[in-house]
This record gives sequence, C-alpha cells and structure tokens, in this order.
Amino acid sequence: MSERMDILRVFLDLMWFFRNHQRRYLSGIIFLIVVSLLGLVPPVIVGRAINRMQHQTLTAPVLEEYLAIILVTALSSYGLRYLWRVQLFGGSILLATVLRDRLYEHFTRLSPEFYQSHRIGDLMAHATNDVQAIQETAGDGVMMMVDSVVSGLAVVITMAVVINWKLTLISLLPLPLMAVVITHYGRILHERFTLAQAAFSDINDRVQEYISGIRVVRAFGQEAFERQSFVELSRDVVEKNVAVAKIDSLFDPTISVIVGFSYFLALAVGSLYVVHGTMNIGNLTTFTLYLGQLIWPMMAFGFLFNVVERGSASYDRVQQLLEIDPQVVDAKDALESVPSGSILFDIPSFRYPHTGITVLQSIHLSLAKGTTLGIVGRTGAGKTTLLRLLLREFDLQEGDITIGGTSIYAYQLQALRQAVAYAPQDDFLFSMSIRENIAFQSPDASLYEIQEKARMAGIHDDILDFPLGYDTIVGERGVTLSGGQKQRISIARALLAEAEILILDDTLSAVDARTESAILNALKRNRHGRTTLIATHRLSAVEHADQIIVLEHGRIVEQGTHTDLLQQRGRYFDMYQRQQLENLVQQGGVAHES
Amino acid sequence: MSLEALEGKTPPFTRGTFWRLMRYMADHKVRLAWALLLLGAATSADVAQPILIKVFLDRYLIPRHFPQTQLIELAVAYVLLFVLTAAFNVAQLLSFQQLALDIIQRLRVDLFDKIQQLALSFFDQTPVGVLVSRITNDTEAILDMFMTVLNTFVQNLTMLVGVIVAMFALDARLALYCLGLVPIIVLVMWLYQRMSNPVFHAARQRLSLLNAKLNESLQGMAVIQIMRQESRLRNEFETLNESYRKARYRNTQINGILLRPLMEVVYLLTLMLVLGYFGGHAIVHAAVNIGILYAFVSYLSRFFEPINNMLQRLNSFQQAMVSAQRVFQILDNPSRRPQPSSALTPQIVRGEVRFEDVSFSYDGRQEVLKHVSFTALPGQTVALVGHTGSGKSSTVNLLMRFYPLVQGRITIDGTDLAQFQEEELRQKMGLVLQDPFLFVGDVASNIRLGDVDISDAEIRAAAEFVQADTFIQRLPQGYHAPIGERGATLSTGQRQLLSFARTIVRNPVILVLDEATASVDTETEEAIQAALAKMRHGRTTIAVAHRLSTIQDADLILVLHHGEVVERGTHQELIARRGLYHSMYLLQQGHEHEASSVD
Repeated sequence: MSERMDILRVFLDLMWFFRNHQRRYLSGIIFLIVVSLLGLVPPVIVGRAINRMQHQTLTAPVLEEYLAIILVTALSSYGLRYLWRVQLFGGSILLATVLRDRLYEHFTRLSPEFYQSHRIGDLMAHATNDVQAIQETAGDGVMMMVDSVVSGLAVVITMAVVINWKLTLISLLPLPLMAVVITHYGRILHERFTLAQAAFSDINDRVQEYISGIRVVRAFGQEAFERQSFVELSRDVVEKNVAVAKIDSLFDPTISVIVGFSYFLALAVGSLYVVHGTMNIGNLTTFTLYLGQLIWPMMAFGFLFNVVERGSASYDRVQQLLEIDPQVVDAKDALESVPSGSILFDIPSFRYPHTGITVLQSIHLSLAKGTTLGIVGRTGAGKTTLLRLLLREFDLQEGDITIGGTSIYAYQLQALRQAVAYAPQDDFLFSMSIRENIAFQSPDASLYEIQEKARMAGIHDDILDFPLGYDTIVGERGVTLSGGQKQRISIARALLAEAEILILDDTLSAVDARTESAILNALKRNRHGRTTLIATHRLSAVEHADQIIVLEHGRIVEQGTHTDLLQQRGRYFDMYQRQQLENLVQQGGVAHES
Repeated sequence: MSLEALEGKTPPFTRGTFWRLMRYMADHKVRLAWALLLLGAATSADVAQPILIKVFLDRYLIPRHFPQTQLIELAVAYVLLFVLTAAFNVAQLLSFQQLALDIIQRLRVDLFDKIQQLALSFFDQTPVGVLVSRITNDTEAILDMFMTVLNTFVQNLTMLVGVIVAMFALDARLALYCLGLVPIIVLVMWLYQRMSNPVFHAARQRLSLLNAKLNESLQGMAVIQIMRQESRLRNEFETLNESYRKARYRNTQINGILLRPLMEVVYLLTLMLVLGYFGGHAIVHAAVNIGILYAFVSYLSRFFEPINNMLQRLNSFQQAMVSAQRVFQILDNPSRRPQPSSALTPQIVRGEVRFEDVSFSYDGRQEVLKHVSFTALPGQTVALVGHTGSGKSSTVNLLMRFYPLVQGRITIDGTDLAQFQEEELRQKMGLVLQDPFLFVGDVASNIRLGDVDISDAEIRAAAEFVQADTFIQRLPQGYHAPIGERGATLSTGQRQLLSFARTIVRNPVILVLDEATASVDTETEEAIQAALAKMRHGRTTIAVAHRLSTIQDADLILVLHHGEVVERGTHQELIARRGLYHSMYLLQQGHEHEASSVD
C-alpha cells in the first residue's frame, strides 16, 4: 500500500497550484463536504416517517415538517453542488490552461538541438494527453479523494453511531473488495485501451499514407492489396477494442454483485436486530439508504488510484520536459545593441552535440560588410551548418564568429537575430495568409512594403493569380504552393526584415533560371552596403558573389571569385564544367546539325 | 480562418442520418435480438429485487412471522436475482459492444471501398487530413454512439419502463403521479441539449485550433526563433488557450446547472411526493403498506441513475450525428473514377498511343488542353515540354485514365482507351511519377507494391536494371532495409531510382514518365539519366520533360503552351525553327558564353 500512497504524492507536487488558488480549492472542498453531510439528512427523515407511520403517530404538522426539511436540503445542496463543481472543475481547467501556456513558452525557448532529439508527435502528446491526465487529477482526483475519504467516513460514522455499529461492520464487509476490483479492472482497462489506441493510430497512419499516395496506388493497380491491408488493420482495431469491451462489460455488473451482497447482509442481519427489538424498521430503511450512499465513495476510492496514477506519471513527464534547459542562451551582460560590420568565421572545428560527428573543420573566413559570399558544395558538405552557426542555432565548441569585431556570443540572441534575415532551406510557411507569411517577421509592415518585397522576390504576379491574392491562405486548407513559390515567399519574408545580413540557404533551387537572375539582380540593386550569404549547389546563383567558398566534407577546399576559381581549375571548375556540359553538348549538337 | 472551414462544411443533421445508421444494424438482426433479449432479462431480474424485499417486509418482518423454508427460499431467490442480473448484464453489454464494433468495421470498409472508387478530382479538392479524419475519427465518433450512447439509451429506457411497470403493479395511483416526472425530465433534456450543444462544439473546435497551432509552431520553431517571433506567437497561443478555457468553463457551468445537481433535486422532490403520499394516507387511514413504500423508495434511485447517464451522453450523440452526416456525404459522393466502357478485354501488345483532338478541363470551365493530337508509334518516344501549367501533366493524367475523357479520343493499339479493363491498363502502362512516393515498409515491398506474383529475383533484376542495386546493397539490410514515412531515410535520387525499379519490374509496354524537377547531385543525376535511357529502350514512351537535355533524342517533341500544341518536331527541327522551343532552350543554356570563354 505504501507504493499506492506514493502516487498520491502528485497532490503534493501540485500544491503550488492549489496554494495559488487557495480560496477556490478550500471553498470547493468545503462545499463538497457540506453537500455530503446534507446527504445524510433525507434517509433519517425517511426512516423516522416510516417509524411514525408504522406506529401510527404521524400527524400532518410532523409530515409537513419532514417534507420541509427535505425541500430545504434539496435546494441548498443544489446550490452547493453547482458551486463545488465550478470551483474544483474550473480550477482543474485553469491548471490545464496554465500548463499548456508553460509548455508552449518553454518550447519557444528550447534550441534546435532539443528538436533534433524529440519527435513532434511525442511533444504534442505531452501537451495534450499528459495535460489532460493532470487536469483529471486536479479535478476528478480531488473530488474523488474528498468523496471517498470525507463523505465515505461521514456516512460510515453516521451508520455506526446513529444506527448500529455491528450492522455497519457486517454489511460493509464486501465493500473494500469493490475498491480492489475497480483499481484492478481500471488498470487492465487502461492497458488494453492503450493498445486499442495504438491500433487506431496505426490505421490512421496507414490511411494517411494511402490517400497521400493515391496516384501511385491507382497507377500500379494496388487497390486490392490496399483494401486487404486496410481490412486487416481495421479488424485489428476491432479485436483490441473487443478486449477493452470485455473488461468494460464486467465493470458495472461486478460492482452491482458486491453491492448486492452488502444489501443482502444489511437486510438479513438487520431483520434479526429488528426481531430482537434492538432496531426498528425505520432505522433499517435509513440504514439501507445510507448503504446506497456508500457505493459512490467506494467506487471513487477505486477510481482515485487509477486517475492519480495516470496523473502522477503525466506530471512527471511534463515536469521533466520543463526542466530541460535551452542549450543556446544569452551570456551574462550580453549586449543589447544590434551587431553590424564585417563577419569573421574562425572555426577550428565543429561537431553536432547529439551525433558527435565533426561537420566543419578549419573554417577561417572574413567577409567585409556589404559584400556577398557564395557557399557551394554538395548536400552534406556543411553549407547549412555554417549558416546555422552564424544564427546561433547551435553554439561553437571552439573558435569564434565575430560581427564588426565583436563575438556573436557577446550579443543578446534577439539582438543577433535582428541583424540577420534568413530564408531557410526547407521553406517552412505557416497556415495563414500569404500576406501574414511575408510579414511574419515584421507584423507591422504595410501592404505596400509587403508587395514591394514580393515583387523583388519575383512572386508578386503569382500571388495576384491566387483566388484571394495576398489574403490567400497557404497550406492544406488553402492553396497548395509549388516549391519555387514557397521559396520566393520565404525570400520576400526575409527581405522584408530589412536586416544588414541576408542568408539565402539554397532558397533558389526550385526557382527557374530567369526568375533566379531577376531575383539576384533585384538583390544587388536593393541591398547596397549590406551583406549577403548565399548557399547553393547551383553555381549560377553565386557567379556574381564577391567571394565564393567551396566546401567539401566540412572544409574550405577552394576560395575566391568566380573568375579566380575557374582559373584554379579545381573542384569549382569541375562543378562548373559539369553543369555546363549539358549545354555544351546541346550547343554542339545544334551547331553541327543546323 | 473560420471554424467552419476547419471542421469542414456539414449540412445540419437530419432524422434521416440517424435511421440510415440504424439500418446498418439490420444485417445483425439475430444478434441484435439476442442482445435485446439479454437486456430484457437483466432488467427484469433487476426490477424484481425490490419486490422480493417488499414481500419480505410486508409478509414476514412486520407481522413477525418467520417460516424458515419460505425465508430461505426468499433469500436464495434474492441472491440469485442480483447475481443473474449481473450475469445477464455482462452478456448484454458485451454483445452490444461487439455488435457496435462489427457495424463500424462494416462502415469503415464501405467507406474505404467508396474512396477507392472516387475520381481523382475528389482528392485534388479534399485535403488529406480531412479525408483521413472521415475514415478514422468520424467513424470512431459513430462507434462511440453505437457502443455507449445507444447502449445507454436502450438499457436505460428499458430500465425506466421496467421500473414504471413495477411501480404500477405496486400502486397505480402513485405510479401515475410519478409519471408526471417524465415531462420534467424531457424538458431538462431539451434544455440541456439546447444550452450545452453550442458550448460543447465551441470547446471542441477551439481545442482543435489550439492543437493545430501547437503542432505548427513545433514544426516551424526554428523559423519562429530565428525571426524572433516567440513572444508574438506565445501571445497568440495564450489567447487561443484562454478562449478554450472559457468554453470549457462554460461547459462545466452548464453541466453544474442542469445535470446531476438538478437531477438530485428532482429526486428529492419525488421522494417528498412519495413520502407525502404515504404520509397523507397514513394520517387519513392510519394504516400504510411499509413494504410498498420501501419498494418505491428503492425504485426512485433506480429511476434517476439512468437519466443521469442519458443526460451525460447527449453531447456524444450530437457529435456522432455530425460525424455520420460527414461520412454519408462521402458515401453519397457522385464522383466516380473512369470505368471500362465495355466488358471486352482488349490487350495492349504493340504500344501505339494516339491522341485525336483531345480537349480537357478539370472544372468544366477552364480548358487545360485544347485540341491535342499526336501519335507515338510502337517503341517511339514522344516528349512533352512547356512551362508549368502548359498541360503536360494533364496529358499524362488522361493517358493514365486518371480522369475521364470528355472531348476527343485516345487510343492504344487502335482501341479506345475507355474500353480497356483496369488490370490491363495498370500492367501494360508504367508510370514514373514526379514525386516518387514511397510507402512505409522495406525496399522490396516498395518495388513489389502488393503484387505477390513478383519474385525476389525479379525485384533484384529490376533494381539492377535501373542501377538502384548498388545503393540498395549498401543499405544495412539490403532489400529488407526498412523505409520510413515517405522514404525519409533515402535521398531524393535514391527514391527516384526505387520508383524506376517498381515501374520496370512490371515490364510495361508503354512507359509514361513525369520527369522530376527536384535537384539531385550530379552523380545520381547521371545514374538516373542512364536508367531512363535503358528503360525507354524498346518501349513506347510518353515523357514529360523539364530539362530539354534529357529528351533530345525523342522521335517527336510537342511544345505545349496554355494547353495547345504550339510546335512539334524533332529537337533539330525545333531548334532550326527558332520558336518557343528555341528560346526555352536558350534560357536553359544560360551561361554558354562564359563556358566558351573558359575554353
């Protein structure tokens, strides 16, 4: 039982909340107790009335008094029942709200390193299922605890003191079994329910995949196979649910059998007392009515452990999550000013903390303010990593990056990021309007400014073609954008930030050649005196850069301008040759044939 | 974004929806009858218990008359009754739940079959998430109705009828008074339904908005942080969270006013009625049947518990009806994938593809193809080029019979496309899609795609043919290397090679290529081009090309512009023409002068 009691610790864990809402909880619990005490009244009245009826001593004024008492009880407990519900359940809803806010706040502070080692689905589960379980503990859990302990005891004591303690003992004999049975069934039920949920989630995934791949399914005539797989999965769901149903169906009937025995004992033994004259029929009736009032506290006692067990586990999980510290934080006395000036990379080596694999080595590079850096290399060469380090998505283990001669680690994170506008590789857009997406970083921007940047990014005309123009919603519930359109919106979004440093992380890969060169020209015209970093594996995007580095396995293998690099006849030259080869072949073909 | 859009538009639910759901039970008449019989037995046994106690009180305890055998018989009967009640109830509950699960299984499979028959245009218009939700979540809500709501209602109504019958047997007049409760209860139910429904739905919708917000924020957290929008999004989330809290709080208030607390009041008022009735009787007539009074008091508690249960289920019932409505909307959707127009079984042997004056529109208004005609002789390659939206993919969609042809004619080996049976088309026409969609499973299963007739050796041969074998061998478990969601473990190029293998393993007569635009590294690109060349060899090929370099050797190139064929010919002819193709070609070349200057 000590292990059992241990899980009640969650109430202590939640004490901060109960204390913050002391009045709410104290009043709620007091109302709940008063309600259960009021509940003791009607059975006594019924018993007395029966006695008087049997002995023919009932008079009209007495009867009126009895009825009045019941009426007063009824009305006052109605008000109190409403109040405790609003107080206790309202409190638990508030707790859930507070926890969700805290989690969200915490999520916004955690660094990419955290997101690389946690799945979004799991994080969602914490914010939904776990919070739900904690809410139940703080609402139903508290109510059940009060009901099972206070109300249960009140009824039992009244039965024992007012009516007959021996009869109380005897008829209560089967009831503890109820708490045991409920806890036991409750646990099995929960286990099986979890399995059923998992089966449900399987079929969900499968259907999701099927619909996403519907063209493949049809093109390859896989329909029968898919159907069979669906039928099997949904049958599995049914089987798992039947397992749940089996326990579920046992639940109420088992309780009613136990209660039945209790009643039977009360009536049988109680009758003996009546025969011996130690009890009257009115008291026996009162007693059986009380017995009926004990069923819920006993059940609550059983449920309590399951609710609290789940709540306790959930609270631990949420707490663990909240205790994770963000990896990237401001230094003490960090500068509030926005960094500006030339950028210097001085990185002996860098490895990702969770994998430990070295991704960058000997990167020493300086970039004057107002110039453009091109970073080329294959996927996995370290292009994105270098840019993410500048944004402090990850912190260096050794070396430094400076802007205007000051280490980026000396600035506040917010200040650093204010200096940098970023158009990321995976062009993530939010399911809001295009206008809101472009203005994501600058929510106060005017439509004029938004359109201006959209024009620069070569997406304005595309946007006007959408049904609602700039107000068109992006994503599943709106228009589906092509990769190139998403990239251009993401560029417009970065441009609108008007930051000194602009990063395009392979954000032109799905844009056609003509649009690419238009965007690059616009950048050149409008970003005079400001620094631009462009990572790409298409060389046309960096041809006009002031400086180009070629990354291979995390090292700079070549460095210089486009012309320099071509003259070096090294890796860059090879890449250029290869990208030109197709064109040359074509040109040759045409030249010879025509 | 409106809440309505989030939940999907649903017409208001009608009585028809409920009866249509009920019709699903018709297939299980015998089991239903059996479950109802068990329920009846359980209820009778339950209702009989207070009567035994009444007999005990009136006949034996009050007159102090204790014949041993009769008392033992009574005791045994009483114990037997409540044990039987429990046993019948277990059986009854289980059969109802099993019945419900079977019905939902049926409904789910029906829905799946329907979806298999829907035209592709349906999928273009319906977001994946919504459709998944119909098949799983909505049917789950309906299951909930069959399993708990319906069960509770049937069980509780039976119980109510049983209690009322028993009451009438004991004292008809008092029972009649008690019946006066029924309108009150109906009124409460109606009130509750009216008041709680909007709040309940508001809470649900706000919760799904809240979760959508959280999910999206987690996905885009890097962007949020880099763009320093943490506090703005926190505020937005808090606002949503607070609005959800308010809805939940309101729900709690309504439940507190109308549910159990109110029913307890009604219970006590009824108790007053019973007490007053017997008390009045006692005062006037001096004698009262205590046993009947006892029985009435026990019935009262049996009477109110079911009502409480039913009230609590009302919301789920409403929810189930909304879900059912949505499910039926899909089942009734008139859209249908193109069907073979005849029972004939023409074969594709040579692979001659012919488009004759084909025009097409997805929405019936905007034409995406206008009078397209061409012929691909057996073994020839016909390439389609043009900007995005020029009609290249639509041509493929029609050739694959993904969409029904309305104007013009498409023939294969001289036979109308519409006349081919589904299997013949899918076997002889191999499609390589732009998006090489991979399924969760392993490498082999992604090549096999459910066709059990394809042997492991054939899979290997196909992989070797398209040069996918090299990288597959290097995977930790080779052909049994697991493939995660959407093939995330493989690179884009590897995914493309796999999708080639799955097409070539079926040895199609006609190859339909929808070339990928996604950029891959040069080495993979070379492997892909080499594989494509091998695949095309000896097969009629209809290729959608984005890079003109890949189709220079095509027998016929069609240049599409706004759905029309504006130029046609071989690469050389088109270059010589100096038209649209020529300028596209120049555009793609881009930097020829710089390359030549290096030379």
